[in-house]
Amino acid sequence: MGPRGFGGFATSALIAGAILWSFVTTDVELSRLVSAGPRIADFLGRMFPPDPTVMAEIRKGSAETLRIAILGSLGAVILSIPLGILASETMVSPALYRPVRTLLAFIRAIPLILVAMLMVGAVGLGPLPGIIAVAFHATGMLAKFYAEAIDGVSRAPIAALESAGAGPLVRLRHAIWPQMAPVVARDTIFRFELNLRESLILGIVGAGGIGFYIQTYVRSFQYDKAASVTIAVVVMVIAIEALNVALRRRFA
Amino acid sequence: MSPAAQIDDLTFAHPGADLPALEQVSLRVPAGESVALLGPSGAGKTTILALLDGRLHGWRGRVSVLGVPLDPDQPPPRASRPDTGFVFQEFALVERSTVLRNVLNGRLGRMSPLRALLGSPTPHDLEIARTALADCGIADLAERRVDSLSGGQRQRVAIARCLAQEPRLILADEPVSHLDPARAGEVLALLTGAARARGATALFSSHQPDLARRFAQRIIGIRDGRIAFDVPTSELKDEATAALYREAEPLPGLGLRAVS
Repeated sequence: MGPRGFGGFATSALIAGAILWSFVTTDVELSRLVSAGPRIADFLGRMFPPDPTVMAEIRKGSAETLRIAILGSLGAVILSIPLGILASETMVSPALYRPVRTLLAFIRAIPLILVAMLMVGAVGLGPLPGIIAVAFHATGMLAKFYAEAIDGVSRAPIAALESAGAGPLVRLRHAIWPQMAPVVARDTIFRFELNLRESLILGIVGAGGIGFYIQTYVRSFQYDKAASVTIAVVVMVIAIEALNVALRRRFA
Repeated sequence: MSPAAQIDDLTFAHPGADLPALEQVSLRVPAGESVALLGPSGAGKTTILALLDGRLHGWRGRVSVLGVPLDPDQPPPRASRPDTGFVFQEFALVERSTVLRNVLNGRLGRMSPLRALLGSPTPHDLEIARTALADCGIADLAERRVDSLSGGQRQRVAIARCLAQEPRLILADEPVSHLDPARAGEVLALLTGAARARGATALFSSHQPDLARRFAQRIIGIRDGRIAFDVPTSELKDEATAALYREAEPLPGLGLRAVS
């Protein structure tokens, strides 16, 4: 037995067991992968060349996805400011921040696509359920980040302002905010990038955006058009990343 | 005239500490004077200053600052806090804000709550902040961000913020411990001079007897949480300050023996 003893052995056995269990109980017929060669080639062949006539749909879908991400992010920021303060160890008592943190963890645990499906059921098809879903889902992470930003600042200037007679909100504004602002900017841009990435697929459940066209073209076997939309999505994701890097430098 | 600060029979232990940080401490800080708290590191100087700033709780004894008794269980009322200014040892400045912003932070307790929240000073606030900057010799640094300043410049910003608060009692915790001797003299001259010019009382802590002698009219010696002496500077004997810094006498029977 190794130096880590029984614990290490148990962990290894557990991982090996989980892999074996997955193999044995899943209907994996490797032979199908071999015979699928020609079919995959046919599938890819039908995606190529991508159909450029869907530019109008791509523009319309991307613009809607962008709007969903922007308005959803705005909603998340508006919700996260009060919730972030209420989830902060240094601003409120444990009786308040503990339940708020539990609530945020609960929100984070619900996948965006599930929230979007529920919202489509509640408010109908279109971008509105997408916006609400993004705002709700992103708040679980963003409010936690804001709380951590508040708790991560140097305490000395806050004590100095308190000694000078400044109240809690004045201290938040003049001692905490200037210290946390770059962290908030960085976290908000990061969450916006995630929101834009994640809302690309919202259309699949009818919650608006470019995902709607991917679903439509795949279901109707128009793989060349689906390929064009896929390329557009890849370009958008790369563009978002580049923008994010540029913005982060700006706020450093 | 009533003293600017008075402590009687004070005992205080930090939460969770076995031994008290201050024991049976009594002292008076006469109004309008510059007074030094002299003693080695860990003697309790910072604790006394924090106590007078209203930041300690759970002490026993009687403390009054600017004629108002402090409550050991309650922080002082916010309206009275600007009257006591504090220069923190580690400056406690907002690093990413400008020098002027930091000095205006000293005005926040004097502004109306809405002005304080919006950070919109009146022309009067600005004038006081600019005067404090000029008195500290850093008028030209007003628009610089604090994180671009040297230690000596930061010290001056910390003092300017305290002066902008218009305190009647200035408490300064080791205000020159980060500075070389020449600069230390300049900064203490500035601090005690500005206090005198404003009719304020200054109480500063130091571990350097020569600086205390040069800039204080009265020197309070403190060691191991107890007051060792409390005398006008002219009456302070060299033996008294030497005793403050002498190593503790070894306990009988614990002396080391040569091994050979």
